[in-house]
Amino acid sequence: MPAITANVAQLPIRLRNFFARYPPQIYSSLAAPRPTPPAGQASTEQPLPSPYTPDRDAKGAQKEDRGAFSVARSMLWDSRSAPNPFLPKKIYSTGKWMGPRYGLRQQADLVKLAAKYNVEALLPPGPKSTEYKAAKLAERGLRIKGTGIGQKVKGHKWERTMEARLEDRRKAMMEMPEMIRLWKQRGHGRGWRQWPKR
Amino acid sequence: MAKKSKSRTIAVRLISMAMTGYYRTMIRPRVHRPLSMLKYDPVVKKKVLFLEATKGGKAK
Repeated sequence: MPAITANVAQLPIRLRNFFARYPPQIYSSLAAPRPTPPAGQASTEQPLPSPYTPDRDAKGAQKEDRGAFSVARSMLWDSRSAPNPFLPKKIYSTGKWMGPRYGLRQQADLVKLAAKYNVEALLPPGPKSTEYKAAKLAERGLRIKGTGIGQKVKGHKWERTMEARLEDRRKAMMEMPEMIRLWKQRGHGRGWRQWPKR
Repeated sequence: MAKKSKSRTIAVRLISMAMTGYYRTMIRPRVHRPLSMLKYDPVVKKKVLFLEATKGGKAK
């Protein structure tokens, strides 16, 4: 960290004020414990269920497990003694939620500013941090239907039936010389029995 | 009242036996036997057998 602390004086006043109020030694994401999946649950290996599985409304379909370990969620670390100013807090005596000290817009400003001065790691973990956004994206996957694991798109009917139709055509073309020979043999259609149905 | 007279000719559909869905429409006398001929099918790019499609798949 000495390389980072060396140029504190060059930081903009807004960041300096923030760091004065929330010293990185206590509040920063470097000080926060690293998220580790609980033992016996290798959820980092398993793909999380995607909300775009086609049968998500089907009976007996597996709902997304909200209690499952999530790297992104565990990044948003908060402690009783030093409440994270980027996260809302529940006040247990009243049961009400207190908003974060810094709203999402201000957080985004701070994160962008800190990233510019290369001190983003000194900010508390929050939903606007690059790390959190990357983890969230990795968990959620692309928002394009059919790109997730186990997903597929229905497609057009001509796409779905193409294989079968090509197979039919291939078979018909294999039998075509024999058919023509028979047709010629039977008086060019005079004795023909199997006319196609309309 | 006089019955409406049927036309002497009818339009028929000749279906490609290559199972491509391609067909040609032709006119033949009503009393004629069903049409069948070798014609070019642009889907398979070959000359294939075309047979007249009949209602119910039967013909005299």
